[in-house]
Amino acid sequence: MLERVFDAPIELVWQMWTDPARFKAWYGPAGATVPVAELDVRVGGHRLVCMAMGPHEMWFAGEHLEVTEPARLVYTELMADEHGNPVSPESLGMPAGTHGSTEVTVMLEEVDGGTRVRLTHAGVAAESGAARGWSGAFDKLAEELQTAARA
Amino acid sequence: MLETTVPTIADGEERLTETFAALASATRRAILGRLAAGEATVNELAEPFELTLPAISKHLKVLERAGLITRGHRAQYRPCTLDPRPLAELSTWAEQYRSIWESRFNQMDDYLSTLTKGERGD
Repeated sequence: MLERVFDAPIELVWQMWTDPARFKAWYGPAGATVPVAELDVRVGGHRLVCMAMGPHEMWFAGEHLEVTEPARLVYTELMADEHGNPVSPESLGMPAGTHGSTEVTVMLEEVDGGTRVRLTHAGVAAESGAARGWSGAFDKLAEELQTAARA
Repeated sequence: MLETTVPTIADGEERLTETFAALASATRRAILGRLAAGEATVNELAEPFELTLPAISKHLKVLERAGLITRGHRAQYRPCTLDPRPLAELSTWAEQYRSIWESRFNQMDDYLSTLTKGERGD
């Protein structure tokens, strides 16, 4: 889980995820821009986001699963084409085992000094770069154990 | 305002380190595998290994400290039970996503500063 307090009112931080103009201003990680952000902010509402770094574009589709303004937002984020159709990570040259579909949970809370944001991002890549050796094995172990523990 | 305990980023990092260390032992992984099938006593866990009970207990302590197992209290013996949550945390958090979100949050921070400064008339 990632956590940070921002010096801003909770309503404004909520807009960062729900107002396309605001969203585009920060969602691209360092160096990337967000030329497209279609956000239908309601349960079942779709998302289509394009992140661009120079000539390279990556599209992400998804759906809002939970919308509780201004405290909680849950959405899926899947690699997609520009029409919002999911594509397999392998077809984009990603390593085998990369999770195509992920789920982002955003929790906002008013605190002294502004707004606390807590975020989880589940279903991420199991094999990539330095994490390859560890994460793959642990993912399998964790899945096995979780399944067994639930049984 | 009520003070509640919240998981800090540092706590999360430490927990992950402990989990990695706990899992970096074939014996401990095997113990977890056995516990996935149901709770067990120390004697039951020691059975497959050619290890003394104190040696097995050492492994159990490491697993317990990492939050991977819990030990019950039942009369003469303390059954060990698996807690799948730390492993679930491991499997859902990869370093690459952390750095992406850190970067995004830095940008959000800068952006928010420009917005709120304007409103406050700084």
